[in-house]
Amino acid sequence: MNYLIMCRSLTNAQRGARILERKGINTRVVKSPRELTGGGCGYALSIYRSPIDAYSILRENNIRTGKLYEKTEDGSYREVIA
Amino acid sequence: MIYLDNAATTLIKPRSVYCAVNNAMMTMASPGRGAHRPAMRAADTVLRCRETASELFNVPEPERVVFTMNATHSLNIAIRSLCQQGTRVVISGYEHNSVLRPLVDIGADITVARSELFDMEGTLEAFSRAIPGSELVVCTHVSNVFGFILPIYEIARLCIENGVPLIVDASQSAGVLDVDYMRLGAAFIAMPGHKSLFGPQGTGVLICGQEGTPLLCGGSGSDSISRHMPDYLPDRLEAGTHNVCGIAGLMAGMEYVLRTGTGEIRRYEGRLRDRFLAGIWDIGEIESFSGRDQTGVVSLRSRKYDCEELAGLLGDRGVCVRSGLHCAPLAHESAGTVDTGTVRFSFSPFTKISDVDQTCRLLRELHS
Repeated sequence: MNYLIMCRSLTNAQRGARILERKGINTRVVKSPRELTGGGCGYALSIYRSPIDAYSILRENNIRTGKLYEKTEDGSYREVIA
Repeated sequence: MIYLDNAATTLIKPRSVYCAVNNAMMTMASPGRGAHRPAMRAADTVLRCRETASELFNVPEPERVVFTMNATHSLNIAIRSLCQQGTRVVISGYEHNSVLRPLVDIGADITVARSELFDMEGTLEAFSRAIPGSELVVCTHVSNVFGFILPIYEIARLCIENGVPLIVDASQSAGVLDVDYMRLGAAFIAMPGHKSLFGPQGTGVLICGQEGTPLLCGGSGSDSISRHMPDYLPDRLEAGTHNVCGIAGLMAGMEYVLRTGTGEIRRYEGRLRDRFLAGIWDIGEIESFSGRDQTGVVSLRSRKYDCEELAGLLGDRGVCVRSGLHCAPLAHESAGTVDTGTVRFSFSPFTKISDVDQTCRLLRELHS
């Protein structure tokens, strides 16, 4: 399953990715899908497991995150309440 | 050639700087403009440079490190963020025009905390008298003309006690002295990348204690649908494509400073300064300016030659120095040299002892 954690800025996404990697959670910085970025261009962290843990770790490390989404089978995104 | 104009720009850089610039030129695109490999390689370099600066200047969050074109650009953002027409601003008597001219342009109510050259106590007393009732303090850490180290941490403490924001111009201290963001508690710290941080020309840094007002507006690669600049750092103050090649070189330069240590750099430049002063002290027609609290920057003037003439004669003999007012008329007013200007000799970790000795010999020959 693919999850996306929205980030406020590219710098935030990069720092978040490093923190998650250090915690053993593989992640990748990606451009946010347009349907999820009400404000236009943005970046997100793409992860495949432990989304709630990842979200919590980012918050604990003062990474300013947006919403957490799960990619559904039909390709759309559903918000996950973390 | 003997290059002694390092207070303007360091010409000789660590070899890693040239390699980093070249590598960035060939492999990196624009950060924040895509998620493809060349863009992300650039983004990674830019973030690592922010992190390196955070380590060097004790900044808790790399987002507070904003990249600019030079110290003038950084100072303009900082000053225009905190100063409006009529704002009561205190500055030292050693400020560069990159501080003075923006303040005059805005129409600030400027008080100069005047003090004698190399008088730490007098400088602090002048600020003690001037700060109460003011709304902003802008102060250089080191005079670009004389290498005079101002008591910036004590001035910062006075600012905190009086609730007045402080902008520090670290143009001559970044990479040479301890510049500690957390200890200073400054609103902004401005610095160039191309002097003692050994980055290429066209690089600068602004460390932000607050969000600041954008000097330039444009693409940031974030919140693109908004008509306004983002309200978060660093995006808020970094409109347009980054100078990725410059930033890559700046990172390599700062890594060199971290490896070597500012303490060692200051000691070595101090040894060169002392050797230079010892080599010219008995040349009767030369007046040099030195004091206890001084970096590796020495100004002098000659009774035989106009400063421009002397710099020209040295240049003809392969010694590169800077003459005139050094864009800092206030500093020359404070030292009593505004009518003559001075010739400035500024050293770096790449200056050899033999360079200093040869320069002393030439000065002696020219005055024989």
